[in-house]
Amino acid sequence: MEMIQAALGWLPMWLQVLMMIVLKIVVILIPLMLSVAYLTYAERKVIGYIQVRIGPNRVGPIGLLQPIADAVKLIFKEIIVPAGSDKLLFLLAPILAMAPALAAWAVVPFQPGMVLADVNAGLLYILALTSMGVYGIIIAGWASNSKYAFIGAIRSAAQVVSYEIAMGFALVGVLVAAGSLNLGQIVLAQSGSILHWFWLPLLPLMVVYFISGVAETNRAPFDLAEGESEIVAGFHVEYSGTPFAVFFLAEYANMILIATLSAVLFLGGWLSPFQGIPGLAEGALGAPSMLWLFIKVAFFLFLFLWFRATFPRYRYDQVMRLGWKVFIPITIVWLLVVAGMVVGELPPWFA
Amino acid sequence: MRPENYQAVSHPPSHEYEVFFGPNHPGIEGNYALKVRLHGDEVTAARADGGYLHRGFEKLMEGRLWIQNIALVPRICVPDPVPMEVCYSLAIEALGGLEVPERAQWIRVMQLELSRIAAHLFTFGGNAATTGMYTPMFWGIADRDLILDLFEELSGGRVYHIYNIPGGVRRDLPEGYLKRVSDTLDYIESRLPDYDNLMFTNQVFVRRATGVGIMTQEQALDWGVTGPNLRATGLPFDVRRDDPYLIYDQLEFDVPVEEAGDAWARTLVRRAELKQSLRILRQVVARLPEIDGPIRAPIPNPLAWNLPLGDVYTRVESSKGELAYYVVSNGGDKPWRVHVRGPSAMHAVQVLEHLVTGARIEDVAQIMFSLDACPPEVDR
Repeated sequence: MEMIQAALGWLPMWLQVLMMIVLKIVVILIPLMLSVAYLTYAERKVIGYIQVRIGPNRVGPIGLLQPIADAVKLIFKEIIVPAGSDKLLFLLAPILAMAPALAAWAVVPFQPGMVLADVNAGLLYILALTSMGVYGIIIAGWASNSKYAFIGAIRSAAQVVSYEIAMGFALVGVLVAAGSLNLGQIVLAQSGSILHWFWLPLLPLMVVYFISGVAETNRAPFDLAEGESEIVAGFHVEYSGTPFAVFFLAEYANMILIATLSAVLFLGGWLSPFQGIPGLAEGALGAPSMLWLFIKVAFFLFLFLWFRATFPRYRYDQVMRLGWKVFIPITIVWLLVVAGMVVGELPPWFA
Repeated sequence: MRPENYQAVSHPPSHEYEVFFGPNHPGIEGNYALKVRLHGDEVTAARADGGYLHRGFEKLMEGRLWIQNIALVPRICVPDPVPMEVCYSLAIEALGGLEVPERAQWIRVMQLELSRIAAHLFTFGGNAATTGMYTPMFWGIADRDLILDLFEELSGGRVYHIYNIPGGVRRDLPEGYLKRVSDTLDYIESRLPDYDNLMFTNQVFVRRATGVGIMTQEQALDWGVTGPNLRATGLPFDVRRDDPYLIYDQLEFDVPVEEAGDAWARTLVRRAELKQSLRILRQVVARLPEIDGPIRAPIPNPLAWNLPLGDVYTRVESSKGELAYYVVSNGGDKPWRVHVRGPSAMHAVQVLEHLVTGARIEDVAQIMFSLDACPPEVDR
């Protein structure tokens, strides 16, 4: 980092700062895009093996180039804008879906000090941006001028409204427990050992947060906005080519984001699971590292894929029921419990 | 459509709108279409729109020799072809007064039950897929493939066997065939707990299916619904037990019944039937080696085979319900008229329309699959 700064030293100061920020963005976004591409590959492989299939194995060794081939195919396809659609909104919608999924990464800490923007309102920023994504879906459904897309958009809107609340309450629980909105501070508040991580005192909140996250990303079993056996592909039924690819990217980028946030908020982010264990904690195993974060993210991402392979889609009224009648009461009650634990300085977490 | 030709769809002020399900739709079985009228996401009216698979089988049969039609009938219902062959053969045997040797009867029963298992595995998967759970579908297809392997070994065909011919069956069992059947049965039985875990005890699936597409027993009887759909309303009617054909009267099996009449009850009946089919097949595998004798009754030169004047109605229990052939002969070498009572025709048109009305849009596909509608059989 210092080397790059030194190399840029001849530039005016404002340009140096700008270049550094752009460089950091690129360093975050390119691996993210690659992860998105290979998450689709992992999804097809994992679900393939669950479903006694092999999955992609034609392009490249064991199908490793399949995501590239898919991307190239989608880029070269014609962009069909349906007659009777609102062209501006139709093309704006994928961008609106994609932008928040990428922008939210600005405050995600990968390692101590490794974060694009170390802002103190990080959690609020995340909450604001993750709820933005649904506008892309609603606008896509509206602008397509298609009944299937419109039903999908309406469903998505109703679903996000009901899950946002439970998700928000779960995040408030984290805020109360950590005493900070800064994601880096939240991770540090969990240091100690694997038992100090928030998954244990906030277990119900973690479950609710992750399931709400699945609902928020419109993934199975909450993929009502797509619901292919009834509304074919829902909100993106009219999309083709690059706009469709952007929707696809947004969905997977959102999945990775939710998995990362779950890992940061509840599984101690970059902290090592061997921390605090005598004999193991001293060596490299106990050191905090980005790798630990990636392992935790991979775990949550696997859950996403596992859900998709083994759960039927919820019916619309069941989704509503689960959101309003199950999750919100659970989170409210546990919020009180957490508050009690914090006030009572319950060891080992809040002492 | 060119933009200048496009005219915006005008909707009536009632806020109702029409949505097409099919003929090319991921939630529909085969080439079949449903036009549903929606209010919000509730179906207020539905029109079944079949005919995409109409190939005119009944008329085609009138132009072919008795024996040639054997190659035609399995195509009437692709997922469950054996009952078609057997039922048509039974009709010709009844007309021509042929006595089917006992060994052939046992082999036929074995084929019928294998076909039933294959069809039910297929239906489970399709049913789960309509709710967005694709894993049982792939499992079902993979396990069904083992049965198709057995069919292939015996007849050379995986889907269209053309194995049951008037008078008996075409070939005797190959060496070690029963062992392989038995192994396949063991395997499928060992897979059932997996299906239970994934699908039949999956609370999300149970809640999706419970109370969906309810049909009362009176309605089922009025509409001529048979098979698992009728048994799911509490009436234990099964042609195999109530009007035994072949050697079903020598076999022990139960007729599973459920009371609720909804999609979940229909699924449970099929699951229980799968077990009963396994039970029947075990008995057949145990008894078949003791039964010797010819596999085919001698028939006259099939190319100049005039069946006596008369008509006959034969029925068998297919995986979808009572399958029947009404065959009329005017003494010639071709049928004068063949009528196929495809069980799906009863429950996949008007009954489907009726059950779908009032349901939510999410459940439309599930209702169709839980009825086990077979579009080629509807259209014939």
